[in-house]
Amino acid sequence: MTELSLESGPARSAPLRWLLWAALAAVAAAPWFAGPFVQHLAVLTCLNVLIVNGLAVIARCGQLSLGHAAFVAVGAYGSVLAARYFGLGFLSAALVGIVLTASVALALGAVILRLKGVYFVLVTFAFGELLRLVLLDGASWSGGANGIAGIESAAIAGLAFDSRGRFYGLALFIALGSVALLSVLARRPFGHAIDAVAENPALAESTGLSVHRIQLCAFVGGCALAAAGGALQARYVGYVSPESFNASISIGFIIMLVIGGRRSVWGGLIGAMVLTPLPELFRGAVQTQHIFYGAALILILRFLPAGLAGLPGPWQPRQGKEFQ
Amino acid sequence: MDWSILLTQATINGLIVGLLYLLMAVGFTLVFGVMRMVNFAHGEFYMLGAFGAYFLTTQAGLSFLPAVALTFALSVAAGAVLEWGVLKPFRRDELNGMIATIGLAMILQNVALMFFGPDPLSMPAVVQGTARLGKVVIPLSRIYVVVFALLALALLYGFLRYSRPGRALRAVVEDFEIAAIQGIRSRIYYPLGFGLGVGLAAVAGALMAPLFSVSPFVGATPLLKAFIVVILGGLGSIPGAAVAGLALGLAESYGSLMFESSTADMLIFAIVIVMLVVRPKGLLGRGEA
Amino acid sequence: MRYPIILAGLVALASLPAAQAQETLKLGALVTLSGAGAAWGQGMKNAAEVAADQVNEAGGLEVGGKKYRVQVVAYDDKYQANEAVTVANRLVFEDKVRYIVGPVGSAPVLAIQPMTEKNKVILLTLGFTAKALSADKPYTFRPNVTTAEVSQPQIDWLVKAQGLKTVGALFPNDETGQQIALDLEAAYKKAGAALSTKEFFERDRVDFVPLLTRMMARGIDAIELDGNSPTTAGLIVKQARELGFEGRIVRTGGPATQEIVNVAGKQATEGMLVHTPIDPDLPATKAYAERYAAKYKHPMNGFSPAFYDGTLMLFEAMRRAGTVEDTERVRAEMEKLDGFEGSLGKLSWTGRAMYGIDHQLNAPFYVAEVKDGREVIRARCTVEGCR
Repeated sequence: MTELSLESGPARSAPLRWLLWAALAAVAAAPWFAGPFVQHLAVLTCLNVLIVNGLAVIARCGQLSLGHAAFVAVGAYGSVLAARYFGLGFLSAALVGIVLTASVALALGAVILRLKGVYFVLVTFAFGELLRLVLLDGASWSGGANGIAGIESAAIAGLAFDSRGRFYGLALFIALGSVALLSVLARRPFGHAIDAVAENPALAESTGLSVHRIQLCAFVGGCALAAAGGALQARYVGYVSPESFNASISIGFIIMLVIGGRRSVWGGLIGAMVLTPLPELFRGAVQTQHIFYGAALILILRFLPAGLAGLPGPWQPRQGKEFQ
Repeated sequence: MDWSILLTQATINGLIVGLLYLLMAVGFTLVFGVMRMVNFAHGEFYMLGAFGAYFLTTQAGLSFLPAVALTFALSVAAGAVLEWGVLKPFRRDELNGMIATIGLAMILQNVALMFFGPDPLSMPAVVQGTARLGKVVIPLSRIYVVVFALLALALLYGFLRYSRPGRALRAVVEDFEIAAIQGIRSRIYYPLGFGLGVGLAAVAGALMAPLFSVSPFVGATPLLKAFIVVILGGLGSIPGAAVAGLALGLAESYGSLMFESSTADMLIFAIVIVMLVVRPKGLLGRGEA
Repeated sequence: MRYPIILAGLVALASLPAAQAQETLKLGALVTLSGAGAAWGQGMKNAAEVAADQVNEAGGLEVGGKKYRVQVVAYDDKYQANEAVTVANRLVFEDKVRYIVGPVGSAPVLAIQPMTEKNKVILLTLGFTAKALSADKPYTFRPNVTTAEVSQPQIDWLVKAQGLKTVGALFPNDETGQQIALDLEAAYKKAGAALSTKEFFERDRVDFVPLLTRMMARGIDAIELDGNSPTTAGLIVKQARELGFEGRIVRTGGPATQEIVNVAGKQATEGMLVHTPIDPDLPATKAYAERYAAKYKHPMNGFSPAFYDGTLMLFEAMRRAGTVEDTERVRAEMEKLDGFEGSLGKLSWTGRAMYGIDHQLNAPFYVAEVKDGREVIRARCTVEGCR
């Protein structure tokens, strides 16, 4: 039992790892050969992966945001309004939306991040509601409850992403990019710093890490990812309205993250992949679906607190230190 | 209408609504105080209390007061069982407990949807008519609710202050560890605290069912109001909930005189954010943020 | 993952029975079945089902020499635009539906129209927004009359016959409420009165006492209820009377009298003036109401007959076009229908002046007074005016 298990891990699971990568590639490629509805679900899944990864970054430093949908909204509305009023193209408008969201997150985070636990949750919830009311009320610029319709599809350098297949390609690329980003982040010193801050802030502070600055960076980064998701979503659906960004949507993101796994790099991906298509299996029985969600949430919290990604398997990183 | 009458009417409206908010919030803050749990399912217990009162009066033919009392008893029992069966692993685990109650809320609301359907039901009014104090009008049905709310709160106060289980609960709220050292067993007091908290939510729902409609969706607003009251008054503080509840009712009432409804709502959320940032303990709360 | 395999299995299973029996024509119902608007959504779905039953009982829908069994495929859009888009995608691409009844809400219909128009899917929507109908959306029709059609004639009559001068109104802060507020304000002004107080509130709100106090302080002689869900309207009536409001209460749109009387009681609603699309004495309407009550065990919602008629008109258009596949021809025939005998009376299309296209159903409607919890018709109206 004193034998170090570091060496035996990779050798045992290498073939399984390759199998899983191949399966992931097959799943990722499948929508291009399937019907438009499957492609639609695939696009939504990718957008959710992106947004929930943003939430994962924030959760990584120990804070849970119940207002995440609000930052998706700022990204969506920001990019759409930038395109409308300043005539910007897709990429620049999306960038404006992301920068705007990051600024809001920076301003908000600077004051609220010293709250911990449930207090932080409640204040993000209050912010989410406040933003929704602002959007509802600002009919002259936000379209009010009617929202903004007829948003043009995304286009980069003249290539228009107006078909489902093409947009799926774009969304897939960005979603996988966000997972890669998280994975890289986890290995770098900044990622380690975030983990340290989450584990024991006082100890981290004493070693010279600025807890506040690290949490703020993580918060802004997480909200920026959400904003990117929002900008893409606005272009895909072609329509934004305040009702698409309310508290129950934020709760939906939290459910995806918790079920996928809060501490793993793959948590957002797993959670979104499992939970986005799931309602379609339940289409006839909406109440059963929600009861299932509620029960799944409680069961996962009780028996599998690290989420589905916490299940033993070859997707666990080789060094067992960082994750449960 | 001249301003003095308008202000008086607004004050009376505000105090009445404030008392309703207080009733909704006091159970919520009790659960937090005892178990450090933000109970997202609080609104769903309000909703179940409303349905309880509805069915007991219309189907079982009970008169209003016994129906409310029975609803209370059933809710305390149900709450205790749920706490022991579902929430036990999350005692004193704030964040995960809160997420677990989100799951519980989804289950309760959708079970209600499955059984009762989405259409709002109307409960026959308990009293009708209005009372007038000079030019100021007060609906009798609201006075009825106010009287019973005060009665319930008085009973709660008596229980917490003078009975042994009540004092033990207060000890747990004050300082959980010392209470445990003193021999107060968490096995009893956690289910009791949770049951009492959600029982109060159910009583609020039952009392307000004749005033407003009864449907599986009525729990969302009381939950929101409870959040606001408890944040402003202090998580875990019952006197804080009392002061903040009345203050919120009055603020909304005066606010709607001067501002548009949406502006008033936004201001309230802004105040909540400011309060959480400046003084997370709330007006009268104790404990760390 | 496993999803395509499950789907393939289901499709294989589903296609088996079809090979033996007559062909099935699928009619999609994309309606709100939960939350606010559920009453309307259910009424629409049920209307389509009653029409389908009627046709199936007669042996099937006979089009182009073939008989079809009509099947209603219903999904819930939860009154959310994003959900409606997903459901529309499912109906059109998975269930291969070419005709959809719904959506209920304005945001959902605006969100799905780019896709349904592009794929030539015929929509029969309830959505109140003026933007739902336009010349560049040739596949969308609206069977129910909206505020834009009914308010002016009714309000003209109300101002003249009842002497209303200053009216106050409360609206939910959503797209329907905001649209109706605009329409009503213009209509009252044109009639010579004034919608002097407008208050918007959060859709879930149940306590209107502060808002009503403020409104009454401004001195209004009537309260307008249009734009509110049935329960909300009932609560407003109840609380207004409890506050001692003695003026007229009117509701110029959105049939909901039964629910309002349930919530507010007969005493509070006595003398209310409401819009109703139904003349209960008309034999065709009575027949439909009885059929509905027999099947669903509770009385129909006021919008239901309009969608029943809309569905029947769709079937007739299919018969005349001789095809269920070619929606282009069905649409053309639908537009040509004039003087169609429906449960509401003689129906034709209108709307070119306002929307640029005649896809708004023109049905007669009435102003009724509520006496002892029942509607008694006081004036008969068309888009031109009330008498």
